[in-house]
Amino acid sequence: MRYIKYCFFLCLFIIDLKTHAQNKYTISGYVKDVKSGEQLIGATLVIKEIPATGANANAYGFYSITLPEGKYTLSAQFTGYQAKAEVIELNKSIKLDFALSDAETQLNEVVVTDEKKDQNITQTQMGMDKLDIQQIKNIPVFFGEKDVLKTLQLLPGVKSAGDGSSGFYVRGGNASQNLILLDEATVYNASHLLGFFSVFNSDAIKDVTLYKGTQPADFGGRLSSVLDIKMKDGNDQKFHVSGGLGIIASRLAIEGPIKKGRGSFLIAARRTYADFLLRTFTNNPMLKHVDLYFYDINLKANYRLNDKNRVYLSGYFGKDDLGFGNYGLNYGNATATARLNHLFSDKMFSNTSLIFTNYDYKVTTSFGANSLDIISRIQDYGLKQDFQYFLNAKNKIKFGLSSIYHKLIPGSITASSNSPLSKRGVPNKYAWENAIYISHDVRLNDKFSFEYGARLSSFSLFGPGTFYTYNALDSITDSAKYTPSQIVKTYFNLQPRAAFNYILNAKSSIKGNYARNAQYMHLLQNTTSGNPTDLWIPSSNNVKPELCDQVSIGYFRNFLNNMFETSIETYYKQMQNQIDYINGAQLTLNANVESQLLYGIGRAYGVELFIKKKYGRFNGWVGYTLSRTERKINGINNDTWYPATQDITHYVSAVGIFEINKKWTASAVFIYYTGNAVTFPSAKYYIKSTGQVVFDYTERNGYRMPAYNRLDIGFTYQAKKTEKFESSWNFSCYNAYGRENPYSITFQVNPNNPQQTQAVLTYLFRWVPSVTYNFKF
Amino acid sequence: MKKILKFRVVLVTLVMGLSCCTKVINVDLNDAAPNIVVDAAVTDSVGPYTVNLTQTVNFSDNNVFPAINGASVILSDNAGNSNILTEAVAGSGNYITSNLQGVDGRTYYLSITYNGKNYTATSTMPYGVPLDSVVADTGSTHHGGGGFGGGGYGGGGTTASGVTVRAVFTDPKGIVNYYRLIEYVNRVPNYNSITIISDLGQDGTQITENVARRDTSIHAGDTITVVLQGIDANVYEYYRTLKQVTKTQTGINVTVPGNPTTNLSNNALGFFSAYSVRTMQTIAP
Repeated sequence: MRYIKYCFFLCLFIIDLKTHAQNKYTISGYVKDVKSGEQLIGATLVIKEIPATGANANAYGFYSITLPEGKYTLSAQFTGYQAKAEVIELNKSIKLDFALSDAETQLNEVVVTDEKKDQNITQTQMGMDKLDIQQIKNIPVFFGEKDVLKTLQLLPGVKSAGDGSSGFYVRGGNASQNLILLDEATVYNASHLLGFFSVFNSDAIKDVTLYKGTQPADFGGRLSSVLDIKMKDGNDQKFHVSGGLGIIASRLAIEGPIKKGRGSFLIAARRTYADFLLRTFTNNPMLKHVDLYFYDINLKANYRLNDKNRVYLSGYFGKDDLGFGNYGLNYGNATATARLNHLFSDKMFSNTSLIFTNYDYKVTTSFGANSLDIISRIQDYGLKQDFQYFLNAKNKIKFGLSSIYHKLIPGSITASSNSPLSKRGVPNKYAWENAIYISHDVRLNDKFSFEYGARLSSFSLFGPGTFYTYNALDSITDSAKYTPSQIVKTYFNLQPRAAFNYILNAKSSIKGNYARNAQYMHLLQNTTSGNPTDLWIPSSNNVKPELCDQVSIGYFRNFLNNMFETSIETYYKQMQNQIDYINGAQLTLNANVESQLLYGIGRAYGVELFIKKKYGRFNGWVGYTLSRTERKINGINNDTWYPATQDITHYVSAVGIFEINKKWTASAVFIYYTGNAVTFPSAKYYIKSTGQVVFDYTERNGYRMPAYNRLDIGFTYQAKKTEKFESSWNFSCYNAYGRENPYSITFQVNPNNPQQTQAVLTYLFRWVPSVTYNFKF
Repeated sequence: MKKILKFRVVLVTLVMGLSCCTKVINVDLNDAAPNIVVDAAVTDSVGPYTVNLTQTVNFSDNNVFPAINGASVILSDNAGNSNILTEAVAGSGNYITSNLQGVDGRTYYLSITYNGKNYTATSTMPYGVPLDSVVADTGSTHHGGGGFGGGGYGGGGTTASGVTVRAVFTDPKGIVNYYRLIEYVNRVPNYNSITIISDLGQDGTQITENVARRDTSIHAGDTITVVLQGIDANVYEYYRTLKQVTKTQTGINVTVPGNPTTNLSNNALGFFSAYSVRTMQTIAP
């Protein structure tokens, strides 16, 4: 019970701090956008008189600062917004809301600001990236669809899983080790059209934060990262309609007040229409029957009941429908979150969330009059309770709990005839994942701040069903029958987390952190690009929770009055209970899928360099990552270390945005990375009794894919911009120099010489030009 | 889920009208030291039985696989019988037994010594299971266990063509059984696909399995022979993983590429199977 001891010392520490308090009052309130009423997540509050103190608005725009009696100048700041300061005579606790206006609307005025733009230096959090939704609208993208997942892959430490994939790798982890949250609901598959697009409609998104180092203690469940995406609340002042028309998809969003200043709603929807175009313009009878589309809808509403209570409802629903000949696949996510913000006092903020998420897919195969459907589903029912206690200007405490019930239907088969396949259904799985957490954020003095905490998580797998135990050779050694709700296996993990920031001077700081993460849900994915049909399995008597310990340290320095931000971060990770597959693993529709798995350890380390020009007509960034990620799995490569599939040694990305004039903006993205590890054959042989030439794979991941590089260019033309109507045209070319980037390499008999074998590279596209028209009124 | 991967390419080529393609490239593969390849069997039909030994060649070489000569090969069973195998034709790499007779239910041991290295394998010959019937017709097909994931694009039509061959046999109840079915057309084996069956989920039932589906190379009057091999669990696993691995050779990677799971020791390639044999013939309509 180390954990109890831990809490005990924490309490002692808090009490100790509290004894110094006397005659203190609290300033609390919300920071929001003056025009839309959207809360500004993470806005900084600075007290001019005591630079060491201050606060950040939380995920709901709420802040609270407790100070001794006195006169203060409190200013609220947010990137891209005009800072606003208020002079306060603090002799009682007060409420103070800030409404900031974005810098753009004030472009014609002379902007004099004492804004503190060095947040990257002063905040304790490191290994965190926040995407500026306004900035990414200018970045050229595939088919003109703004895509937060693709844009994240341009940051150091975040790597692309390749063309035609929404997957990304964070600091040596694989694509399934990222927790992707949309308004707190887990998104199990973030891809549309098999990965060409992500499920996130940027019209509906307010905030995108990726934690690649220490995840705050209120997050857990994945090894590598947390991608926390928050939907817009909708404008609570005025109705707006915005949208876009593109070559293959269109978008429409409507937002407005439910009651002015008190509540608002947002509805945003997208649909592709490649299939309409195709059916209209093709003469190929095969293509007349192609299904190929996706749509998604984001809904959000919020209402302030009174000064202490506010409710939020948010939902996402998306579906992909692909059909070709006798084969059909449809899949999609649905999420729903209901939240209540409650202020117990001006120092104690609480949020209660009820969360539902569903991911399913259905594969239909027809043979003449017969058909076969395979349905797979994963559902989560969750409760999350978070408390934030703003003790004083130097101490903030967060604590809470999370409870998720998982229901997994790995594969149920419906066959039209009494096919033997109908007997191959895989039994359902049920599990319960719980966690409690606490963390304490301390600003010790104007130089040193730190945060420490812990998360205690548990995971229980339930019956009913027969559960087998496999030995190291993957043969069944034991089996046991369990009744419904009987516990098969429970795991506990204590996950400590700690971070510090030491400010060297106004321009530079050193930060470090440590975290342990545990992952109980595992994605079995044996292709690099990933498929909608990849299987999620729970930890069980055979599959142990994946664990990861990460330490990282970084140096941050700004130049030229914060015009340039630079950083260098290094990390080292150790991972346990990593999962890999036996040769020729059978992962789909296999009731004994756990017999196809191998286990071992992993390690990852790297250096990330980043330079960003934040302001001016020309802005952008360059990132470089040098890294390695390796595994040692019992049963692979004679139990020695070998590169993981996602091991990419060099990764360079550059983004440049140039404002040519008031109307035109040009942008470019360049990306280069060395190939990931891959298994190729080294020899071949003949098996007479099956009449086959077979390839000899001498080692797992012993080869490298060719390097990837790509340049995208884009132009945005601001056609009209008034208070009443805005419109713009976006022209882009993805892969501007037509590089044939490898998607896969396969080996086959040379058609010109059956005695020879050849390698064939498949690439997905060369140039992809697109035009999109965007409007807002 | 090969279909999905193919779909990703189809999606780009046909639908988006983009310049997606494939091209032949030169991949610099490491030269590997030649490894031994064992293809060995003992059955309950009349001997002699053959152990075929060859070597791997580099990927860039022609498909000419050198035979291994001068190996010491011993085949024995758990009833105390043993044969030292000799090369039937010098230089052929085919080592044959002299008087050993395969008996179902017995366990067989293979030992090969070559270049100072010893390779061993064990296989138990299951009791033979007779075929109830073999049916060849030109009508509609029955969905065999291997049907899922197979069947190319456009195969959903109702006008059947070619000949479908089905084998029917009754699985003995209470015993774990694995089978391999091979079809011979006019005594020529059809190796287009490896048909293997496990009685998992269908123990003790009458099993009907397609041996050939709409095979257009079968003509009326052809003699079709179906062989039902009773194989042991390790051999079944070898065939199953071999199928998975060779699938990745022909298409876009669908699974982890690697070598099939073999019952041979010391990293030798290939396998050793002691199997029972039951056959039945029919004439194509």
